Amino acid sequence: MEIRLKHLTKIFPGNPKKNIPDTHAVEDLNLTIPDGKLYALLGPSGCGKSTTLNMIAGLSEPSSGEIWFGDEDVTDLSPEKRGIGLVFQNYALYPHMTVYKNVAFPLTNLRVEEKVKDANGNDVLDEEGKPLVKKRKLTKIEIDKLVRETSKIVQIEEYLWRKPSQLSGGQQQRVAIARALVKHPRVLLLDEPLSNLDARLRLQTREEIRRIQKSTGITTIFVTHDQEEAMSISDEIVVMKLGVEQQAGIPQEVYNEPANRFVANFLGTPPINFFHGEIRGNKIYIGDAMVKEITDKTLPDQKVTVGIRPEGIVPSEKGVLPFHIDQIITQGRDIIIQGDHPLETRPCKFVVDAFTDVKVGDIHCEVKPHKCFAFSLEGNEERIA
Amino acid sequence: MIKKNNWKGWLYLAPIIILMAVFTFYPLISTFSIAFMKDYDYIKQTSAGFTFDNFAIVLGLAPTNPEAPVELQGYVTDVVRYAIPNTAIITFVTVPLSIIIALAIAVGLNSIPKFQKIFQTIFFIPYVTNSIAVGMVFAVLFDYNGIVNFLLGTMGREYAWIDLGAPTWKAMIALCIYIIWSSLPFKILIFLSGLAGIDKQYYDAAKIDSAGKFKTLMHVTVPLLSPQILYVMITSFIGAFKEYDSVVGLLGKPGTDATKNMYTVVYYIYDTISQNNVHYGSAAAVLLFVVILAFTGIQFWVSKKRVHY
Ligand SMILES: Nc1ncnc2c1ncn2[C@@H]1O[C@H](COP(=O)(O)OP(=O)(O)OP(=O)(O)O)[C@@H](O)[C@H]1O
Ligand SMILES: [Mg+2]
Repeated sequence: MEIRLKHLTKIFPGNPKKNIPDTHAVEDLNLTIPDGKLYALLGPSGCGKSTTLNMIAGLSEPSSGEIWFGDEDVTDLSPEKRGIGLVFQNYALYPHMTVYKNVAFPLTNLRVEEKVKDANGNDVLDEEGKPLVKKRKLTKIEIDKLVRETSKIVQIEEYLWRKPSQLSGGQQQRVAIARALVKHPRVLLLDEPLSNLDARLRLQTREEIRRIQKSTGITTIFVTHDQEEAMSISDEIVVMKLGVEQQAGIPQEVYNEPANRFVANFLGTPPINFFHGEIRGNKIYIGDAMVKEITDKTLPDQKVTVGIRPEGIVPSEKGVLPFHIDQIITQGRDIIIQGDHPLETRPCKFVVDAFTDVKVGDIHCEVKPHKCFAFSLEGNEERIA
Repeated sequence: MIKKNNWKGWLYLAPIIILMAVFTFYPLISTFSIAFMKDYDYIKQTSAGFTFDNFAIVLGLAPTNPEAPVELQGYVTDVVRYAIPNTAIITFVTVPLSIIIALAIAVGLNSIPKFQKIFQTIFFIPYVTNSIAVGMVFAVLFDYNGIVNFLLGTMGREYAWIDLGAPTWKAMIALCIYIIWSSLPFKILIFLSGLAGIDKQYYDAAKIDSAGKFKTLMHVTVPLLSPQILYVMITSFIGAFKEYDSVVGLLGKPGTDATKNMYTVVYYIYDTISQNNVHYGSAAAVLLFVVILAFTGIQFWVSKKRVHY
C-alpha cells in the first residue's frame, strides 16, 4: 500500500512566558512511499524522524497536513485502527509476558469479519440481499498458527517460552518485529531498530529485516541516522534536516547526485571532503588546480564550496591537486589516507585500495570528475555542478 | 582487619538495637512466654506454671476455671462469637475493595493531564489528618441524625448506624467505609509512584497492538504494577487483621448494644490488659501471629507466578 504524506507539519509549542520558542520538528513534509518498498528516513539526531514515524503510526497528532494510506485519509484515525506494525527504538516488549504472549497479544485484540453461514453452509443474507457479515475474535488455534508462522519467519521459535529479559538484544529485536508483523499490518514502521546492537549483529539483523521485508512485501518505513544502514538496505531514502526534507530518491542516485552540501556531507563514510574553491570560465578550481570542467551548462564565475568524495581522489604523479599526507590507516581491503590541503575546510580523507604505494609527505593527486561537486555558498548551499 | 573494628559498627548500631530490644524483642519474647503461663498476674509478675490451656480458653474450647463446679465455669466466647468473624469480615471486605478503589483512583489521577498535582494533594489529605478527628467526622456522618441518614431520608434513632441499638451489619458497613477511606491515601501514593515508573512506550505499544483501555489496564498496567500491588496487599492484610483503632475511633466502644458485637481480635487483646488476663491476650496474639504468618506466606507463594519484578 502506498503511503503519501502531504504538507505534514508538527510543531511542539514552546512557552512564550519562559521564552522557549516553538519546535518545528517536521516542516511541510511531502513524501510518497511506494507500495511494497523499504523506505528509509535518514537524518541526524533531532531532525524529526521519530516524530514523522509517530505521526504515521498515529501516536502523535500532526499540527497540519495529511497522511494517506492508499486512497484512505488516515490523518484523524486512531493508531489501533490504522493497521500498522511498529518496532520501537528500544523494542518496548511487554516484560511480564513470554515471547509467545508478546507476539500473540496484537492478535487477541484483532477482530475478523466473517460471512454468517446457515446450517447448510450457505451465506445468510441481510435485508438488502447482501451476505451478512459478523465480526469475531480469532480462536486460540488461529492465533497459535499465526504466532508460529511469524516466529518461523524471524527465527525465534526456540525462545517462545522465554521472557524478554532472557533474550539478547538481537533476539528481542526479532521478537519486536514478530509482534509487529503477526497481524499482517498494512505498513511496518521501524524506529532505529538496530541502534542497540553491536556492529556484527547490526549487519546481520539489517540483512534479516531486508529479507523479511522482501518475503512479506509489506510497505516498510525504516528510521535511522546511520547513512550506511539506510543506503545498504532501502529501496528509497529521504534525507531530512531540522524537520525539512532535503532530498529523496534511490540511495545510489542520492549519493551520486546530492542536492546540497548537507546531503553530500551526510552520506558516505568517510565523509566527503570540502574545499574553498571557485568557478572560473565554467571550470571548477581549488586554488590554481582545475579539478573539473563543467560541460552540461554554463555558470557565472563565483566562489563555491567544492566537495570531493574520498574515493574520488587518486594519488598520481601527474595529478593537479597537491596534498600533504599526515597519516595512512590500513583497513584490510582499503587504505584511508588522511591529508591536508591549504584550502580544505577540515582534514581530508581519501580511500584507495590496499596495493597503492603511498608514503607520508607531499604528493599530488588526480580528481575523478564524477566524484567532484560544486556547492553554492548561498541559501541552502545547493549543488550547482 | 574488618573483624578488628567490628565493635565500632556495633557501637553505631547500639541506639537502635537497644530501642528495639526494649520495645520489640523483649515484648515479643514475653508475649510468647506469657501465652504459655497459667494464671499469669502482670502486676505481681507471677504465674501458676506452664500450660496450653490459654489457647483453648481464648477459642472458647475450655472453661476459664476448670476446677470450679460446672455451673460456675466461665467460657470466653466473645472471641469466637464476635472478634474472629468481625476481623475476618473487615479483612476480606476492606482489603480487596480498598486496593481496587485505590488502583482506580491512582490510574485515574495518572491519566488526567491538568491539575494532577492538586488532586494528588487532595487525595493525600486523609493520610496526614489526625485519626481521632477523622473518627469524629465519621461519627457526625453516621450519626442517627447525621448526613448519611439525611441523604437516605431515614432520620431518627431507629435508623442508627453506629449509635446504641444499631444492628451489627449497619455498624459494620460504616466501619468498613471508614477503614477503606482512611487506608486509601497510602495505597494511592504507592500506586502512583509505581505508575510513574512504567515506561510510556508500553502504552504506545498497546495502542499499536489495538488493545482497548480496559485490556491495557488488565494486561499492561496491573502486571507492571504487580510488585506494588503485592506490597500493598500484604501490608493491608496485616493491618486489617490487626484492626482495632478504627473501632475505637468510630464507635468508642466494642459494641452497638449490650454485647461486644463490634469486637475485633486486637480489641480483645487490649481488653485483657485491663482485666489482668494478659495470658489470654498473649495466647490470642500468638494465634493471630500464626494466622498472619501463614497468610503472608500463602500470598508470597501465590504471587511467585504472578508478580513481575
Ligand atoms: N514532546 C516533545 N516536545 C517538544 N519537543 C519535542 C518533543 N518531541 C520531540 N521534540 C523535538 O522535536 C525535534 C525532533 O525530534 P525527533 O524525536 O523526531 O528526532 P529524531 O530525528 O527521531 O532524533 P533521534 O535520531 O535522536 O531519535 C527535536 O528537536 C526534539 O527536541
Ligand atoms: Mg528518534
